[in-house]
Amino acid sequence: MSRIFKFLIRVSSFLGKEMTEIFRQPRLILTLVLGPFLIMFLFGLGYPDQNRTLRTTFVTADPAGFQKEMNAFTESFNSKIFDYVIESEKELALAKLALNQTDLVIIVPDIPFETIKNNQQAEFLIYHNEVDPIQIGYIQSVARILVDEVNRQILQSMAEQGQADSGSLQIDLETAIAKTQMLRQAVPAGDVKTATQAADLEKDLTNVHENLATFRSLSSGILVSPFSAKVTGLSEVQVLTVTGFFAPAVIVLLLQHVSITFSSLSIVRETRSGIMELFRVAPIKAFETLVGKYLSYLFFETILAGVITALAVWLLRIPILGSLQDYALAVVVLLFTSLGVGFFISLISQTDTQAVQYSMLLMLASIFFSGFFLDLRLMKAPITFIAWSLPATYGIRMLQDIMLRGSSVPLLLFLGVAGIGIVLFLINWILLRRIMESRYS
Amino acid sequence: MKNNILAGNIVETQDLTKTFGGDIAVQSLNMQVPRGTIFGFVGPSGCGKTTTVRLLTGFYEPTSGTLSVLGKKPADFSDSDREKIGYLIQQFVLYPDLTVWENLNFAASFYGVGLFRWGRLNKLLDFVELAGDKNKLARDLSGGMKRRLSLAATLVHNPELLFLDEPTAGIDPILRRKFWDYFKELQADGHTLFITTQYVGEAAYCDLVGVMYGGKLLMIETPDGLRRKAYGGDVIGVRTNEAIRFEHRQQLESLPFVRGKVKIISDQEVEVIVDEADTAIQLLLEWCRAQKLTVEMMEQKSPPFDDVFIRIIETEIANE
Repeated sequence: MSRIFKFLIRVSSFLGKEMTEIFRQPRLILTLVLGPFLIMFLFGLGYPDQNRTLRTTFVTADPAGFQKEMNAFTESFNSKIFDYVIESEKELALAKLALNQTDLVIIVPDIPFETIKNNQQAEFLIYHNEVDPIQIGYIQSVARILVDEVNRQILQSMAEQGQADSGSLQIDLETAIAKTQMLRQAVPAGDVKTATQAADLEKDLTNVHENLATFRSLSSGILVSPFSAKVTGLSEVQVLTVTGFFAPAVIVLLLQHVSITFSSLSIVRETRSGIMELFRVAPIKAFETLVGKYLSYLFFETILAGVITALAVWLLRIPILGSLQDYALAVVVLLFTSLGVGFFISLISQTDTQAVQYSMLLMLASIFFSGFFLDLRLMKAPITFIAWSLPATYGIRMLQDIMLRGSSVPLLLFLGVAGIGIVLFLINWILLRRIMESRYS
Repeated sequence: MKNNILAGNIVETQDLTKTFGGDIAVQSLNMQVPRGTIFGFVGPSGCGKTTTVRLLTGFYEPTSGTLSVLGKKPADFSDSDREKIGYLIQQFVLYPDLTVWENLNFAASFYGVGLFRWGRLNKLLDFVELAGDKNKLARDLSGGMKRRLSLAATLVHNPELLFLDEPTAGIDPILRRKFWDYFKELQADGHTLFITTQYVGEAAYCDLVGVMYGGKLLMIETPDGLRRKAYGGDVIGVRTNEAIRFEHRQQLESLPFVRGKVKIISDQEVEVIVDEADTAIQLLLEWCRAQKLTVEMMEQKSPPFDDVFIRIIETEIANE
């Protein structure tokens, strides 16, 4: 029998054995598939698509006067960002904030116009009691919106005042123009110089009058906000639901976790059972063992990925704007690298429990560092090393690009995760050789 | 030794020593295992039997000394050399979630047995009497069935040399007997079996027996030779109709072919150790006639191997 044939037969030993063992655990497989979907479903239910209305307490020395301002403000703002009350005592408001009875306390500046006249900004002091960075970011955005809106209203009222004032100025101008015309007609014939001067003056005054008329005819709102913005995304999916946005990341985390969980137990179990002693005496090689194990788990998990994707597309209506081939390629490379991580855990673990603990830690790390929760661009440079060590970081970005932006497989990300996978395969091979092929001294 | 023993030694060691840190596990082991034999490796738990097997299979590297298995150092084994070796580990190491058939098929695969192997696997299952249980999960098998499955997995690639590390440990005497029947059949098929055991009585089934104690190989003998060495000769039991008195015993001990003290079994029965039982029986009959003692029974005794083993160990301890 040729060596290659024997090699293939030995590889097939693990291919068949591993698959049989996996499929013999139907409850585990069911839990692994349905559990995460339940989590996604609850996540979608529990995460509203609207902006959160903030329970806000405004603190001002003149509550009655401020209420009038707020009525006007609310009419123009037409938003449910604030569900507000007005207080006059700062300490009382801050105590309510500490007891979580209000979300925000906004201290209104006491003498804003005096402050502005002194060429200084009147400042709203905003207090919150949040630790969640997403919520803090939201509050900061709301604060910016509030200040912009107040500034806009003040500018608008100032512009209106300016227009009213310019009305009397226009009358004065019209009078001046009429007088200039009379002056021009009264100039004796032949006094060309004086007549020309009067004509020029009349012309200038007419121009000023016309410009002033144009200014008066403009809307004060346009004068204050001459530009507007319309935001458009490049993705064909213009409005993503929360579930839609998180679906690629959840699929990646799920596949990574399943791969790591299965493979992390595979070798440590065999080391513990004592069968490695048999392998060391038998002709089977570490390379054959590892290839068999990789193929077996890749086969099983590719099927699993197919089932999960089908459920995501048909049940949760998650779009895949890119090609299915690109999607499959990204998933397979993600699985390959995740298996490498799992086998590495299996090779360095002493017991099953240790392997499970490492897998759980990795899952936790992936949730926090893969960009699942927080955008990687917000992460500080040294920490991003952890992020880019995780297959999930690459997987999430690849699947988001393919599924939500319709891109092809991002080459750099693909090469990055494949590179990690290859390095892990080589490390795992060396470690397994040490167990299976070298003699204990 | 049986007639089918082939020429040459399949295993040879010279001053083979293995230490772990400062502890000596195997000390200056010298032995030759002829091809086609059943070589029993007997000794108490922790005496170095498993370490010796691991040295011979290449699992451990020797600290000093040389060894040759199948004509090579285990460190230099090629794949085809490894295919000639079958190794049964003490504990059950196959997969509990696979069936009997799947485990056997897996073992066949990792030894590189060809794909058309169903016939061989079925034959093996028949051999170990598990044909009716081939769809049972390994975790549902009894201890004895697990041992039989392990044996079948060890034989799946038809190895020339079998290392069986305590194959009968923890199983009932009937199954143990059956295992030795299997081993005899394997020997008849031309296999060489290197079997370790704590059950000293199993030495009787072997062609050669090595006795290990405290990491040292005390002796290698045939089972009969082992008895002779333990007792210093053959044991002959003598029972007469008359009482065997003190003067009779003194005279017996002074006979030239009698070794050591005469052991009193009862007033009318003693055990005598002689150089060679066949010749000594005739001489003893003549002596009894001369002493006017009527012989009721005179035969060569086979002391149980437990006693043989204990005598050997006691002698070793006394010598130390």
